Amino acid sequence: MAQTSYSVSIGDRNIHSGNIIGSFNNTFNNSAEDAQIMRWLSPLEPNNRHHAVRNDRFDDVGDWLLETGELREWRGGEGAADKAVLFCSGNPGVGKTYLR
Amino acid sequence: MRGGILWQKRKPLTTRNISSLVIDSLCDQGGEENIAVAAFYCDFLSQQEQTVNHIVGAILKQLVGRGDISKGLREAFEKAKREVGGRGPRLADLMGMLRTTIASLPKVFICIDALDECLPKCLPELLESLRDIVRECPSTRIFLTGRPHITEDIERYFTKAVVIPISPNTDDIRNYVKMRLDRDAEPEAMTDGLRADIVRVILERISDM
Repeated sequence: MAQTSYSVSIGDRNIHSGNIIGSFNNTFNNSAEDAQIMRWLSPLEPNNRHHAVRNDRFDDVGDWLLETGELREWRGGEGAADKAVLFCSGNPGVGKTYLR
Repeated sequence: MRGGILWQKRKPLTTRNISSLVIDSLCDQGGEENIAVAAFYCDFLSQQEQTVNHIVGAILKQLVGRGDISKGLREAFEKAKREVGGRGPRLADLMGMLRTTIASLPKVFICIDALDECLPKCLPELLESLRDIVRECPSTRIFLTGRPHITEDIERYFTKAVVIPISPNTDDIRNYVKMRLDRDAEPEAMTDGLRADIVRVILERISDM
């Protein structure tokens, strides 16, 4: 698993966050602990998955969907809990997932 | 705007395609406005490790990862570490931390792709967790995708969910299956009848989904 890249980005943020006073060593220890906390919350790394899916994506397809009334309303809705959920029902992929 | 319009230039627009598109679009918006996006892709092949705890934890850590880890979260981690052998956070703990984190953010989008691919026993608990989040943090927006057969499950938890059906184009699927059959490693095992059956059955199954 490519957990390293995630840890590195967390570390980077912490170095710039200004909440750590002390030597470079302390900073390092703290970001290592942050990475540990992240792994404790969940061992899964959905960011990696998103990058893989994005690389597989068909380009120039579906942009219009982002402009539909349903999506815009869902996206812009303020404070209305009953309009909180949008569900796209269909197949995840043609072939890749279930036509192995 | 249903059905065929979803296909352009003979390229399929699938729910996975849509998820990644919506996620990227929200993230782009997030760069300008103060919104946070957490995304998760369920996958048959990773079912065993994609438990409700791990999924909720994965959503939480994406939101937490945007800024500094809160004192409360750090303390919860230290406490768990001191316990014998250390232990993973319980769902109730994760939900508490998620609520606190969401409350500290102006607007949160949670996107979960292919909900039907998580373990069937996990789905009700996951949907219940999402419902709790929406109830307690009403500014949260949730984007879900999945095969049509779980529409009822989703509507059971979210009676007013907006459902957008995405239909595949059977011509493209037929062409894809034929292409795969042409490349079959053992062509001598194939007959015209078997070939026709395979194409027919796959198309039937897909139209049922």
